[in-house]
Amino acid sequence: MRTLVIETATEACSIALFEDDALLGSDHRVFGRGHAEHLVPMISDLPGKGRAERICVSLGPGSFTGSRIGIAAARSLGIAWRSEVFGFPTLALVAANARTEGKRQAVAVAMNGGHGEWFVQSFDESGLPRAAHCSRTSDDAVAVMADELVAGTKASALIEARGYGTALEAHPDARLFDLLPPSLLTENLAPLYGRAPDAKVPA
Amino acid sequence: MGIVLGIESSCDETAAALVTTDRTILAQHIASQDEAHAPYGGVVPEIAARAHAERLAPMIEAVLADAGMSLDECDAIAATAGPGLIGGVMVGLVSAKALAMASGKPLMALNHLEGHALSPRLADASVEFPYLLLLVSGGHCQILSVEGVGKYRRLATTIDDALGEAFDKTAKILGLGFPGGPAVERLAREGDAAAVPLPRPLKGSAEPHFSFAGLKSAVLRAKESGEHRDADIAASFQQAAIDCILDRLAKAIGSAPPADTLVVAGGVASNAAIRGALETFATNRGMRFTAPPPALCTDNAAMIAWAGCERLALGHSDPLDIAARPRWPLDPDAESVRGAGVKA
Ligand SMILES: Nc1ncnc2c1ncn2[C@@H]1O[C@H](COP(=O)(O)OP(=O)(O)O)[C@@H](O)[C@H]1O
Repeated sequence: MRTLVIETATEACSIALFEDDALLGSDHRVFGRGHAEHLVPMISDLPGKGRAERICVSLGPGSFTGSRIGIAAARSLGIAWRSEVFGFPTLALVAANARTEGKRQAVAVAMNGGHGEWFVQSFDESGLPRAAHCSRTSDDAVAVMADELVAGTKASALIEARGYGTALEAHPDARLFDLLPPSLLTENLAPLYGRAPDAKVPA
Repeated sequence: MGIVLGIESSCDETAAALVTTDRTILAQHIASQDEAHAPYGGVVPEIAARAHAERLAPMIEAVLADAGMSLDECDAIAATAGPGLIGGVMVGLVSAKALAMASGKPLMALNHLEGHALSPRLADASVEFPYLLLLVSGGHCQILSVEGVGKYRRLATTIDDALGEAFDKTAKILGLGFPGGPAVERLAREGDAAAVPLPRPLKGSAEPHFSFAGLKSAVLRAKESGEHRDADIAASFQQAAIDCILDRLAKAIGSAPPADTLVVAGGVASNAAIRGALETFATNRGMRFTAPPPALCTDNAAMIAWAGCERLALGHSDPLDIAARPRWPLDPDAESVRGAGVKA
C-alpha cells in the first residue's frame, strides 16, 4: 500500500512517499516560514504526484499555523483521491530518531514551543509515549526530563543545561515514518495545539 | 458550462460553494463563528483559524454530496487568498491548492473583494462592464469603477471607519449587540430620522472619500446626553450615513468613466433603507440600480466560486506556490489616502 506522509508542524516542511516500507520519494526542507507556499508543489514533485491510498499527517504540537497547513492539505488530498487520512503526534516522529539503524533507545523529546516554552515528552524503547506531551518552561523541562538521550530542536540546550546525556538535534522527518509505532495513528484529525489561543476574555 | 468550487475563510465565516458558469448555485454551506468570538467582543484570529481548520474539509465534502458530484467534475478550484486574517486564509488556500493539484484542475487564488465586486453579475446576468460599485462591508468602504474582470479603479475609500463598522459601533453604543447592522436597521424603522442632529463628515469635500469616525462620536454624545430615544438616534444615524453615501457617490461619478449601472455589494448592502436611497439616486440620474440578494452580500463562498467562473472564462489560473496576502488592494494603482490605514 502506498502512503504519503506530511510533516509541517515545525520549521521542517517534510514529506515522504512509501510503498509499504520502501521509500519511493521524499523532500525535507527546514525553512521556518513558507510551508503554505511550498508544501503542495513539493508533493506534486513526488512520483505520481504523491498519490497514495493512505495519507498520514503530523498533528502537532508545534506551530499552530504549520499544523493546520499540513492537516488542511492532507484532508483535501484525501477528498480528491478518496484516500484514508490518519494523524500522528509530531513528537513521536521526533522520537523515531532514537530507533534508526536498528537501535532501540528510550528518549526524551524537547522541541521549541511558544512563548519561550518547550514541548516535551518522554518515549520508551519501542517509541511509545510514557506520558502525555506538555508545554514547560526550559527550567522545568531541564528538571524533569531524565532520559540519557534527548532528541529535538531543544536537545542540545537541554543537555547543556542539565550537564549530562546525549543530544540528537533534530526536526521531525517524514522519512522516518516507518519507525513510528502504527498504534499511534489516529482517525481523529484535530490538531494537537498543546496550548490555548492567546486571547483573553475582556474583564 | 463549467463548474467551480469556491472556498471562503478570510474572516469569521467558513464557507464552500459550487457555482456554474451559467450562474446556478449548485450547493453552498456557510458556518458563522459568531458564538466563538462573542465573549471577546470581536473576531480573535487564532480562534477563527482553528474553527476554519476544523470545519472546512467536512464542508467541502458536504457541498459535493449536496450536488451529487465528485471533485473530478469541477473545472476549477477557487479560494480567497486575501485580504483577511492570514491564519484562516491559509487554511482555505492550502486546501484549494491540494484539491487543485490532486484533481489536476486549475487553482484560482482570489481577492476576497473581487468576489464582492463581481457578485452582482452572479445575481443578475444583465449587469455588464463597466459599472459603478459601492462596496460597503464591516472592513471596507469603497467606490469602485468595475471595468472588467481584474480591472478595478478605486475612486474613493474611507479615511477611518468602514460603514459596517460604523453600524456595529452605533449598535454597541445603543446596547444592541454584535453584528449590529441589522439591529440598527430594525430599530431605525421605529425612529424619526430628523430628530437627532448628527454631522455628515466630509460632505461637500472635493475628493469623494468617506469618513465615519466623527459620526460615531456624535452618536455617542447623543446617547450620553440622555435627551433622545434610541430609535431616533438609530434612524438619524442611518439617515446621516445615507446622506454621506449619496453625496460621495455623486462626487465619484464625476471622476469615473460613464457607467449606466450602479451596484451595491458587501454586508451593508443588505440594509433596505440604503438600498432604497441608492435606487432613487440612480433613477434620478438615469442609471440602473441593482444589488445582489442579502445572502450574496455578506461573506459567502458562492461569490468566490463565481469570481472563479469569471476567471475560468478568461483562461486564468494561479500557481500552486502563490502566497496568501493579509493586505491586498483591489486597485493596486490607487494612491494611499491619509489616515485610511488597512481599510484602503
Ligand atoms: N442590514 C444592515 N444594515 C447595516 N449594516 C449591516 C446590515 N447587515 C449587515 N451589516 C453590516 O455588514 C458587515 C458585515 O458584512 P461582511 O460583508 O460580512 O463584512 P466583512 O467581511 O468586511 O466584515 C457588518 O459590519 C454588519 O454590521
